[in-house]
Amino acid sequence: MHDFQIWLVTTIGGRSAIAEVMRTAWAWPLAESLHFLGLCLLIGAVGSFDLRLLGVGRRIPIAAMHRFIPWGLLGFAINIATGSLFILTEPDQYIYNPSFHFKLLFMTIGGLNAATFYLTSYRRVFAPDAPLDAPRRAKVIAAISLCAWIGVITGGRLLTFYRPSACEGQQTALLLTCAP
Amino acid sequence: MNIDPFLAWLESTTLSQWVVGSPSMFAFPGILTLHAIGMGFAVGISAALDLRILGVAPNVPLRELRRFLPILWAGFWLNAVSGLLLLIGYPTKALTNPVFYLKLTLIAVAMTLLVRISRQVFDDSATVTAITSKLRNLAIASLVCWAGAITAGRLLAYTYHRLTQLH
Repeated sequence: MHDFQIWLVTTIGGRSAIAEVMRTAWAWPLAESLHFLGLCLLIGAVGSFDLRLLGVGRRIPIAAMHRFIPWGLLGFAINIATGSLFILTEPDQYIYNPSFHFKLLFMTIGGLNAATFYLTSYRRVFAPDAPLDAPRRAKVIAAISLCAWIGVITGGRLLTFYRPSACEGQQTALLLTCAP
Repeated sequence: MNIDPFLAWLESTTLSQWVVGSPSMFAFPGILTLHAIGMGFAVGISAALDLRILGVAPNVPLRELRRFLPILWAGFWLNAVSGLLLLIGYPTKALTNPVFYLKLTLIAVAMTLLVRISRQVFDDSATVTAITSKLRNLAIASLVCWAGAITAGRLLAYTYHRLTQLH
């Protein structure tokens, strides 16, 4: 994994035209603002849907509540786009950052968890005669989803406090958390 | 009015020095994280309500969205408290920056809009469930204010003139 991380940082380089634009005074703060707006859309849509599965607003049909999800996906897309801009500009600050590793881990959990929902619970929850109370499995998935996205926010917000410094000595951990 | 002596006193308090100086991840980094999570729920749910008014998820009974209001307000109060702690940590940084007052104003307007929207769609006496153009305008204004508040908040890290009384 160390070699892969080093290869990633070297390949991205941070000297592309995009990186040059990102280094202008307004680009980075603007991209960050969009990243926070995307976060709010994601939590507002996906988080609210999770809360509905858990029983908040139980008189709202679950299928009706699901119509908010495309806006959560829009927020997620905004954040993938703006997040990529940050990585393309300062690859070493993310690829070697343990907080970023945790952020990716929680994103993966959130993604697999959502896939599990659509594979196992979608039909039952969305059937025309589905009860207003979600089945237990869907509630567990919703709780995991909320925790995963809160974990993603935490990993993102703590990035700046775990900036990688230069490596000293032999690195034995699974992932590099310092700049070689 | 010179508020520097007050800012210097605030920065000398134990609480301020803990927020800024403690090596614990529960101090400044933890407070900042709670501030982002609270924002996600407060702004996110408010935006979902606005979007519903503007025609998204039309089969969601508008009045039933009131069940989400306690979580929105929990997010708001989490941010009021975490924001106050961040302010106590860096009072000079915030209070000498006009952008900070812009952020507070935008939040105040957004919350006022939320209360007005809530009165129109959630109150028991609110028999009118039709979405009027006035209600739509309130929802659009709410979304604009939140976007502005978030942008202003993010810019605080880039626009401050003085970090502390010493710097």
